[in-house]
Amino acid sequence: MEPNIYPVWTYLVYVSLSVTLTMWVARTLHKNGRIFLVDAFHGNEALADSVNHLLVVGFYLINIGYVTLALKTAQKPFDIETAIELLSTKIGLVLLVLGGMHFMNMIVFSRLRRRAMREVAPPPVPPQARIPVRA
Amino acid sequence: MRSLTVLYDARCGLCSTARRWLEGQSQIVPLELLAADSEEARRRYPTLAEAEPEELVAVSDEGDVYRGPQAWIVCLWALEDYREWSFRFARPALLPRVRDLVEWLSTRRHRLSRALRMRSDAEIAAALTSAARCESGRCGPREGRTR
Repeated sequence: MEPNIYPVWTYLVYVSLSVTLTMWVARTLHKNGRIFLVDAFHGNEALADSVNHLLVVGFYLINIGYVTLALKTAQKPFDIETAIELLSTKIGLVLLVLGGMHFMNMIVFSRLRRRAMREVAPPPVPPQARIPVRA
Repeated sequence: MRSLTVLYDARCGLCSTARRWLEGQSQIVPLELLAADSEEARRRYPTLAEAEPEELVAVSDEGDVYRGPQAWIVCLWALEDYREWSFRFARPALLPRVRDLVEWLSTRRHRLSRALRMRSDAEIAAALTSAARCESGRCGPREGRTR
């Protein structure tokens, strides 16, 4: 009897597809998140780039960590149909985790930016009167 | 705004405790706290200084005057760790509550200060001067003792 080659191929496709997807999302974040961060750090580009890079590293770690942990499966695929089904479930989960992480990043970006805006914002209430000031 | 002067009631323990707290916080906009009935306050803000202030008053270096709840919110806004809170309190949904709370506290401030044993700046100053007099042997038997 021939050995079942479907699990190995499914795993290989799963890992390569998941890592590619992670890289794609991470690059998108890196490229488009930069402008938020530069604004949040009042134009300090070096600091923005540094924080951007660190965020992307965290993003990679969590996603690749999840991908490797979720690799193992109890039901081994035995033909092309079951292999595609398994792959679909696994990739679907990876996409959901990526989506969740992406929103977390968006929240971080917008928090940082909002905080930066408030640092230079005027008081939230208008004055009730105005008096002449003596120099 | 580059600085904010706050006129508080130095005869009220609650207000004096708040004054000490405000001065201990790290400030984005420097705060200057003046007793509302002090000479300095009268000299600089003749129209605002009062012997019996009804509410907290904050004046910016540009002459903008904030009173009561607004003054409190501007004080929080001036503090590094509480600026977020000032925006929260200033939301339309929360501002009336803040107004009620500040009003509630202001009208009961002397009673609350007694209940919480918060000593006002005026009381502390009085205790210090009478203690100094005691040291030079010029006080009566019960004077100068702090409860």
